[in-house]
Amino acid sequence: MGNRYQNRIELLQGTLDLLILQTLQWGPQHGYGISQAIRLGSGEVLQVETGSLYPALHRLERERWIESEWKLSDNSQRVKEYRLTPTGKKQLAAERSRWELLVQAIAGVLKPAGN
Amino acid sequence: MRLPRWKRDQARELDEEIQSHLGMAARDREARGAAPDAAKAESRREFGNVLLVQETTRDMWGWAWLERFAQDLRFGLRMLAKSPAFTIVAVLTLGLGIGANAAIFSVVYGVLLRPLAYRDAGRIALVFMNFSPQNSPRGNLSLADYFDWKARNRSFDAIGLYANGVQEITGNGTPEQVISAHVTANFFSLLGGVPQLGRTFVEGEDQGSSARLAVIGEALWRRHFGADPNILGKTVMLSGDATTIVGVMPASFHFPRQQTELWINYRLAPPKRRGPFFFTGIAHLKPGVTFEQAQSDTNSIGRNIEHDNPNTYARLTMPVLPLRDAMVGNVRPALWMMFGAVAFVLLIALVNIANLTLARSTVRRREMAVRVGLGATRLRLVRQLLTESVVTGILGAFAGLAFAWIAVRALQRWNPTNLLPRVGDIRLDWMVVIFTFALAILTSALFGLIPALRASASDPHLALKEGGRTGGLSTSGLRTHSALAVFEIALSLVLLAGAGLLVRSLIELQRVQTGVGAEPRHVLSMYVAATNAKYRDVAKGVAFYQNILDSVRALPGVEAAGMADLRPPNWWNEDDSFNIDGQPWSEGAFPSTPVGHIMPGYFETMQIPLLRGRYFTDGDRRDRHGVVIISESLAKRYFPNDDPLGHIMHQSQPEQHNPPMEIVGVVGDVKYQGLDSKNSPMAYYTPVAQSFVEAQFLYVRSTRAAASLAPEVEHAIHTIDRDAVVNHEQTLDITISDSASEPRFRTALLGSFALAALLLAAIGVYGVIAYSVAQRTQEFGIRMALGAQPSDVLRLVVGKGAALGAAGVAVGLAASLLLTRTLERFLFQVKTTDPLTLITVGAVLGLVAILAGYLPARRAVRVDPTIALRYE
Repeated sequence: MGNRYQNRIELLQGTLDLLILQTLQWGPQHGYGISQAIRLGSGEVLQVETGSLYPALHRLERERWIESEWKLSDNSQRVKEYRLTPTGKKQLAAERSRWELLVQAIAGVLKPAGN
Repeated sequence: MRLPRWKRDQARELDEEIQSHLGMAARDREARGAAPDAAKAESRREFGNVLLVQETTRDMWGWAWLERFAQDLRFGLRMLAKSPAFTIVAVLTLGLGIGANAAIFSVVYGVLLRPLAYRDAGRIALVFMNFSPQNSPRGNLSLADYFDWKARNRSFDAIGLYANGVQEITGNGTPEQVISAHVTANFFSLLGGVPQLGRTFVEGEDQGSSARLAVIGEALWRRHFGADPNILGKTVMLSGDATTIVGVMPASFHFPRQQTELWINYRLAPPKRRGPFFFTGIAHLKPGVTFEQAQSDTNSIGRNIEHDNPNTYARLTMPVLPLRDAMVGNVRPALWMMFGAVAFVLLIALVNIANLTLARSTVRRREMAVRVGLGATRLRLVRQLLTESVVTGILGAFAGLAFAWIAVRALQRWNPTNLLPRVGDIRLDWMVVIFTFALAILTSALFGLIPALRASASDPHLALKEGGRTGGLSTSGLRTHSALAVFEIALSLVLLAGAGLLVRSLIELQRVQTGVGAEPRHVLSMYVAATNAKYRDVAKGVAFYQNILDSVRALPGVEAAGMADLRPPNWWNEDDSFNIDGQPWSEGAFPSTPVGHIMPGYFETMQIPLLRGRYFTDGDRRDRHGVVIISESLAKRYFPNDDPLGHIMHQSQPEQHNPPMEIVGVVGDVKYQGLDSKNSPMAYYTPVAQSFVEAQFLYVRSTRAAASLAPEVEHAIHTIDRDAVVNHEQTLDITISDSASEPRFRTALLGSFALAALLLAAIGVYGVIAYSVAQRTQEFGIRMALGAQPSDVLRLVVGKGAALGAAGVAVGLAASLLLTRTLERFLFQVKTTDPLTLITVGAVLGLVAILAGYLPARRAVRVDPTIALRYE
């Protein structure tokens, strides 16, 4: 493993779904694009393992939260693009509020006593 | 691995998706200035293991479990193919156990469970009458009772009657006798029977004024009438009466009997007296009425009838039986008993397979350890081993079905005396196939669990540390083995004990003396009917019988000939109470007793000893005073200190005012109510000339072979009357042996199950001992090197077998004492705890266990210590 991975942290269990749904909120994207978007969006801190990404994509598709379509890319290559479905949007909202709850809860615990 | 087409497409798409990912990543790197080759390699490295990604992604498709199952299945099949000996033994063992179960299930299902082919059959009842002095739980009604019942009925919306009988068809070619039934007009509509041709009887066609009508069965229509499409409206002679055929029933309709193929309408006139008791009631429950409610209703009707007719009835009830119970109720206990027995056989087979698998899984311990080392979870291992068991189970189910098919065919062939009702409803259909596979898969999975859990529990470190050794069995493993062996010895002991008890009672049954002095092989009997209308003049009927006797006696080689309407050991036509002048009559003191109506010559032919007085002669005619001959036990009971000769007897109760009969002889007791009957062998006989009956058994004693004699006798009868119906030709030894065919059938069936169980248990014990001997070869080598004699080692090993045997026998005897109680109803003069049987069976099993230990023990002592010490 190279040095540049050292600053990266493992994704928390269950957060990958949230990140994928959030990324797709801005428009259809293929698997590579999603992984790049998460990496760049997190300032290179979050690295999505492909071994987690593709299973997650296929699972979300089975849940009907996202759907896929084969498209031709800019350099006329076939790529599989994923798009958020209406139920996926609802799921995203739900996951976001759950995440915020979690963040607040953890922050509360971490807050120094007496403050 | 070959995937289904749509899944291959899905896999190809995933591959393409990953390739495009790799392509884009490489282009991004090139764009940032990397060399094309390096960019490709780097993005591939970053991506990781493509195959792994593909596999984990595929798991998301939801078919992972199926894929893994297919994998286990393939692996299981490969493992089974690798050890064919194990596989063959396991599959055959299981096939035997499963097959026996499938066969008996198909009988149980066909006879007891399959819905009857009649409309709303679950709400049809047969109604009987049970009263003193007849005391028959399935006694018949008289016509008067039927009219009383019908008038007071509240529970049924249709009530009918039927009675079985036989009819001679004459006038259309060869005279033929067919099984018939007289029925009320609503009989067919009540059962939902629809004719394939013509019509059935319509409302009102059972009045005294109705025409004589008949509905015939499909088989009779083809056989006797050449499938004549214009049969309707034709007139045939049925026992001498012109009868019009109105319909043809399909072959699927066979009621009341399997063989009934002729139905005749009753022409009921209001009865003048209560009796004769010929009729069975058939009725359909009103909506919402239960059988229990109907029963209490008919019982209260019965009490009314009894109250109105105190001289005829005492303790009158009218049993209401659901149609199915009435048809199959008497075989139900035996069938469930057989089902229990085959369940035991299956259990033993499964224990054997569990033991085999356990022994083999010890050898496979290293394989398991390596799998665990490579990251297989315990669940995964158990699942894999279970899959192997289930594969064995499925193969066993196929073997079992083949076995069951043969068994069911054999069973149907083996049913000549119609022991099983509804035998036509027994077949290997979907229900049986489903049952078989469900049973095979469930039981083999259940019993695969023991070895699977044991094998997967082994510590990989220990197993691998044992290095090159194939791995011995731990003490706890051996304990499991031994416990299983003890279990199967106990199971087979229960079966053997049951079979032993049945064998003992069958032997007792065959020892029963029938009371016939003549050698049964030399007595030919046949049924001769004088049912034709021309014999309704009694004088002509008696003359018909007398002519037959005269010409049969004149045949060469015939020593004696006689006739009677009863036939030892289990046929009597009539039974009735009696009263004796000078002895106070009460119903309990003069029970219903077989009454024989005989032609002179019967006792002489059968060589039934005359103890006092005389036999009947041709002089005991209608115009002479009545005579009667009584049996020894009747004489002893009613004339203990007196000479019965000269006393006057009457048939039935005194209120019937039957004509007087003088006791002219006392003869030896004869069994008429079955070899196993607990009733007293009392009987009394009257001459046919003084009390005519329409049919007789003709008995011919001769040392000639029945095969040549029977046609001559039949020819002699047909010379007298070419329309006479003659059938049931049989020598008496066959009749006697047939009468025990039901217990013999049960005994043979249970006996063969027990033998199968014994064999399986012997194999099981042998397997356990042989296995432990193989494991301890090294130990035996050391013992012998240190000076142990072969006899010591022999004693050690055989002792082990004997210990297993003793434990199994002890457990089995305890279980037998509990379980053989269920056999009580099938036993004759043998107690369920018969010590002789239990001791014998225990000894047999003990011996088998010792023998099963002795064979491997001999191998152990032949071991050369130097080889044994190097033994792997």
